[in-house]
Amino acid sequence: MGRYAIRRLLQLVPVVLGTTFIINYMVWQLPGDPFAGRCGQRPCPDSYVAAMRDQFGLDQPLLVQYWNFLKNLLTGNLGVNFNGVSVASELGDAWPITIRLALMAVLFEAVIGIGAGVLSGLKRGGFIDNVVTISTLFLLSLPIFVTGYLLQWLLGVQLGVITPTVTDEATVPELIVPALVLASLNMAFTARLTRTSIVENLRADYVRTAVAKGLSNRRVVAIHLLRNSLIPVLTFLGTEVGSLMSGAIITEGIFNIHGIGGLLWRAILDQDYTVVVPVATLLVLVYLLANLLVDLLYGVLDPRIRYE
Amino acid sequence: MRVTKGAKIATGTALLALGVAACGGGGGSSSGGGDNPRAATGTVYIRGCEPQTGFVPGNINETCGGTINEFVYSRLVKYNSDTAAPELDQAESIETTDNKVWTIKLKPGLKWTDGTPVTAKNYVDAWNYTAYSPNAQLGSFWFGDIVGFDKVNTADPDGPDGPKEAPKPETDKLEGLEVVDDLTFKVTLSAPVAVFRTKLGYTTFAALPEAFFKDPKGFAQKPVTNGPFKFVQWDHNSQIIVEANPDYPGPEKPKVKKIVYKMYKDDNAAYADLVSNNLDFTELIPPSALAGDKWKTDLGDRAIDGQQGVIQTVTFPLYDKEFGGNADFRKAVSYAIDRKTITDKIFNKGRVPINGWVSPIVEGFKDGACGDLCTYNPAKAKEYLAKAKAEGYTPPAEFPIWSNADGTHKEWIEATVNSINQAFGPDAGVKFVHKDMPTFAELRDTITQHKIKGAFRTGWQMDYPHIENFLNPLYKTGASSNDGLYSNKDLDKKLHEADTATDPAQANALYQEAEAMLQQDMPAIPLWSYGLQAGTSKWVTGVKVTPFGVLDPLSIAIKEA
Repeated sequence: MGRYAIRRLLQLVPVVLGTTFIINYMVWQLPGDPFAGRCGQRPCPDSYVAAMRDQFGLDQPLLVQYWNFLKNLLTGNLGVNFNGVSVASELGDAWPITIRLALMAVLFEAVIGIGAGVLSGLKRGGFIDNVVTISTLFLLSLPIFVTGYLLQWLLGVQLGVITPTVTDEATVPELIVPALVLASLNMAFTARLTRTSIVENLRADYVRTAVAKGLSNRRVVAIHLLRNSLIPVLTFLGTEVGSLMSGAIITEGIFNIHGIGGLLWRAILDQDYTVVVPVATLLVLVYLLANLLVDLLYGVLDPRIRYE
Repeated sequence: MRVTKGAKIATGTALLALGVAACGGGGGSSSGGGDNPRAATGTVYIRGCEPQTGFVPGNINETCGGTINEFVYSRLVKYNSDTAAPELDQAESIETTDNKVWTIKLKPGLKWTDGTPVTAKNYVDAWNYTAYSPNAQLGSFWFGDIVGFDKVNTADPDGPDGPKEAPKPETDKLEGLEVVDDLTFKVTLSAPVAVFRTKLGYTTFAALPEAFFKDPKGFAQKPVTNGPFKFVQWDHNSQIIVEANPDYPGPEKPKVKKIVYKMYKDDNAAYADLVSNNLDFTELIPPSALAGDKWKTDLGDRAIDGQQGVIQTVTFPLYDKEFGGNADFRKAVSYAIDRKTITDKIFNKGRVPINGWVSPIVEGFKDGACGDLCTYNPAKAKEYLAKAKAEGYTPPAEFPIWSNADGTHKEWIEATVNSINQAFGPDAGVKFVHKDMPTFAELRDTITQHKIKGAFRTGWQMDYPHIENFLNPLYKTGASSNDGLYSNKDLDKKLHEADTATDPAQANALYQEAEAMLQQDMPAIPLWSYGLQAGTSKWVTGVKVTPFGVLDPLSIAIKEA
């Protein structure tokens, strides 16, 4: 397992290099000069454009720019963005909030989704199963921004249970509703995935054997059935962590959470690649590490899976 | 012109959120009345956004930074929030006999927030710094009228794209600026400018204290200022805090202790906070709330309905044979646009059709500069189209009107092209269509490189409330924002005459004549003027919005009990 993990980690290096190069290249290829739109209907003064291009090395060839980027990244110097604000401090402000939000969302997905999935899978066709099927159908058919605005309006504006937006500190209690909104869609996916998996494995030979051995019902479900059934769910949740961190743009917008999603969104609109590239790089890393973690967890869940 | 980005981010989701918003009618405040939570701290919260540059007035050209800078800097002149008329602020007198040499005297006893006095030298130094091209300030061109500008600000011979660098300017001091004594300075312009006094209220003409020149970069993040409020703290992407300046000498003092400029990415979020009284002011009511005037039922007497100095036009690339058209073609298009129905249906009367090229709220505005050309008249549209064709212009089969997809322009341009196509009829031989470029930057890039194939949307947000600001930068030959490369010698002459007139009333009359001359060629088609929709929480009172569409920071007060 250790050697496998190291090999996987080493594989990350070319992947990160490749993706960052592609990101740099694509940002560079975006049509429109990042400084053309900054002065509204008046062209920006030439001296300003020249000074900005010089400061950010935009007049250098692509490979030189990429080399500078790598050099800066490895020395931990992310520089300043087009507004002259340190990129590292922007990331430092936004990242913890996004991580908190994403982890809370994944937690909700895992606990509620798997719980509901197991309950409905075990009593297939029963009352709970029907309730879960209908409620997940409901959640699946609602886009996130509808759920978001609806809860904000209902709980925030009408009932006054929560404030409609989250403060700058973005504490855990404040993030409960946004995390639920963020998790809503995938909670339903998780529940359905778990249910299918449980229903399928209930008929498996090893479950029948376990029951025939006279094991208690609880033991059969918790140890034998659940562990095997969770593998596809885990794959799903693992990739979720990555996509939640980059995909929270809508939820962050609705509740005015100052996280990575909004930072990235604004930077893309402003063509501020000094922010886009480091954020995208970070997201690549998150995806890769989350995937690695999932792969390693397979081995823990299912002893038949071994890594050399 | 300032870049306004606020509205566009939210719109995608805003329209979709309509469904949700629509069922929210009659919603209101949730927390019960009684104690006013703002009274204890004296702090109010207003909607903001992250400034693109810091607190250096000469280097700001967008609304996010412009708004908060208005709070902390006073200038020689300020504009009355109700009438938009320029009034003396830091200046005690601004005198001239020929509109060319201006003697400016400051009020005595003015102070910066670090305790140093505001002197004539502060103004002269600040203006020299902004104008000097190696400092690369965004506002440098504002000083182009002053004698010696070409010696401190040199142009790059082949533009920023070329390999050559701009030559170093001969000097870093404008010849036309002269400190007379501590409180007096003299400005000499290279030609008479009738509106120079009005211009002095624009952000760029603020002074800078000695502290700035020691550390310009640090100052931009933590400024020393001279306005009604002083800077306290800036948490990037989240908030800027300013507090009342105890030394502020103006007759009207700040009525609140602190203003928190709270940044929102999404107008809907700000609006939700406003409705539930967590936010005290926003000047961006989202489209979902404007639909069916829902915001008025939501907010009741907390809604503020007004006008601002922004107009929408459609400009033609006159340098392009195919899409530039001829004068009669452009007139035909103007006749074919049903401005009233579009503003009623698409904007819920939030915008007002205009009959000229100038915003109705500025000094020198005269109704009807456009004649009947800006009135919907399908019969005349057809007639002028036939005339245009008879004169030898063959319009292309498909005629695009361009906009940027990251803004909120799709709806009205589609309505506009429908209106034109209907008025022209099916056998007109030309069909107008709406086309998008992905971003504002790309659209502007294409326009300034004069490569655009079709007409394009243009909007003009005034820099200062005067008719001149809607003509000189847009329609003079070679002017900075003359996107269609319009050139008319007679118009240039008339504008020059107006610029150099010494009597303000006469200058205004000449500008009005110049505006009416635009009728001949219709280089741009006037559409409508922007209304202003703002709202307040139930905790504040007396709120006024300036003609620039932002909060007047002196007006906001906390309700008692």
